[in-house]
Amino acid sequence: MDGHLNPLIQMKAVTKTYQTGGAAVQALSEINLQVQKNEYVAIMGPSGSGKSTLMNIIGCLDTPSTGHYFLGEKDVQSLSDNQLSEIRNQEIGFVFQSFNLLPRVSALKNVELPLTYLGIAQPERLRRAAEALDSVGLSDRKQHRPNALSGGQRQRIAIARALVTQPALILADEPTGNLDSKTGEEIMALIQKLHEQGNTVIIVTHEQYIAEQAARVIRLLDGQIESDVSTKARGNRPNH
Amino acid sequence: MRLFENITLAFQNIKANPLRSFLILSGVAVGIGAVLHVVVLGELTQKRINERLEQLGSDVLRIRPGYSWRHGVRTEARAVSLKWAEAKALAQQSQAIARTVPVYSGSGDISFLDKNWSTQVTGTTPDYESVNNESLVEGRFFNPTELSQRARVCVLGATVYQKLFKNESPIGKTVMIKSKPFRVIGLLAAKGESWSNPDDQVFIPLTTAQERLFGVDHLSSILAQMQSAEDYDESLFDIETLLRQSHRLPPKAENDFRVHRQDFFLAAIQETNKELAQFIIVIALVSLVVGGIGIANVMLISVTERTREIGIRRAIGAKKHHILIQFLTESMILGLLGGILGVGGGVVFNHFYIGEETLLPLVWVSYSFIICAGIGVLAGIYPAIRAANRDVIDALRYE
Repeated sequence: MDGHLNPLIQMKAVTKTYQTGGAAVQALSEINLQVQKNEYVAIMGPSGSGKSTLMNIIGCLDTPSTGHYFLGEKDVQSLSDNQLSEIRNQEIGFVFQSFNLLPRVSALKNVELPLTYLGIAQPERLRRAAEALDSVGLSDRKQHRPNALSGGQRQRIAIARALVTQPALILADEPTGNLDSKTGEEIMALIQKLHEQGNTVIIVTHEQYIAEQAARVIRLLDGQIESDVSTKARGNRPNH
Repeated sequence: MRLFENITLAFQNIKANPLRSFLILSGVAVGIGAVLHVVVLGELTQKRINERLEQLGSDVLRIRPGYSWRHGVRTEARAVSLKWAEAKALAQQSQAIARTVPVYSGSGDISFLDKNWSTQVTGTTPDYESVNNESLVEGRFFNPTELSQRARVCVLGATVYQKLFKNESPIGKTVMIKSKPFRVIGLLAAKGESWSNPDDQVFIPLTTAQERLFGVDHLSSILAQMQSAEDYDESLFDIETLLRQSHRLPPKAENDFRVHRQDFFLAAIQETNKELAQFIIVIALVSLVVGGIGIANVMLISVTERTREIGIRRAIGAKKHHILIQFLTESMILGLLGGILGVGGGVVFNHFYIGEETLLPLVWVSYSFIICAGIGVLAGIYPAIRAANRDVIDALRYE
């Protein structure tokens, strides 16, 4: 996966250490990683392997303890809390396992929310939010509240919200984890479509069949990259 | 995130927990309602006192019987008599006193046809009208001739008129005072209540009161009008000298009469009212503080309940100050709603308690809103800071 210029994500010797009950727990150690624009990457690993920590760092929800993480040109470690908020708002679209929608507002308002923090005027916000909902096939559910919709529809709202700011990266954490298999397939098809449209997608999953849809699978074990395999290579032998 | 959006959001969240919000903002409402009530009541009392002050003037002294001492024992105030002759002597002998008006008051029933009313019957002289700044709605005050003839004529106070006559003219009608017939010759304009009701009186010539109705030869009080308000010390000296002589008080004995300046008396009422108002305002402030603590409490609960929401907002790009302002706006609106409820409740309460004279002090209404919004903001600061400083990942994981 090397040889590309200007990767979207570049991690150099990233470690993350947590203090729990006086003891230091190393969640990530010496992670070196590059993700290019328009890649479709799956991060896999068993529970406790550090995939959530890695996703939090990639999503700028957390910062590395040591090492460097560059998102585009920006060294994330040197950014202030406000700048991290701006990056999350403009560069990253999150899709969570539990949807993480605001229950008391409509689908349209949920999708509109990131644009609100971007300071865009309401008419433009509503237009773009409606457009994003259309693109995930929910044009007739705009005024429904999340709890009046099915799990699949809620996840589509979350995807529309992730898309609405046209981010550089879509980060999905177990996006089918709370869905039945048929709806899960629909959501994965939608994510696949987003990738085909030119979006960079990183998906965190512990399910093999989900990971297989990605062009590249990174396996984590005990906070380290165990394997990093592209689909082309997978046809031959895993690149351990 | 604009203010309007924060306000809309605040209302959504308040609506989501209507009962809790109502209970909490009612604390602020009670406080601000009480403040408003005290203000209205205070202004109204002040207005009435000012009116009375204007009527009385500051140049009138009232002399009342005090206590006398017999063999080292204090006797009843009524045991000391003030006499008409003393009133006359004061007016003649003192340079400082322009004129005096003797007054004898007793209680008595007054009736007209089938209506009966228990009131204060005041016997006095024609000068009472000008010294006490009385104005007549109808008819006239009694004259010196009627005074000397012990005439059975009377002038009605506004309350007595209302109790007996409703809307018809009383002039020329015969009323019964203490079962004796009197002809009504005048009707006084209403003065309004302060602590006592000066309108609940009927005036008759002093001679008639003393000789025909009550059978007494002393007075209840003497009104002494000074040449000017500056003559107070001199007037007091003259009154003391004359009355002590007349009552044959030994040099070391205390006065057996009291001299009040009418405006001093009202000033004392005013002072008491102020103290009462201050006391109620302290209670109201305590209530406001309690209301504020209530808002803070609810906001803290709200921050905990909405931890996940805070996490979601932060994850998709909200900065700390967005969250801070969102929660501050919400607590400010809780305070303001308390203010609106309190002002509304205060106006309704005042309407029923005080009646039609109720004023709506717009300045205080606007103060009320500012105070309530301020309490809301103050109460919201700590919860809002807590909300803004929540760790994003922890907040997202919060169940």
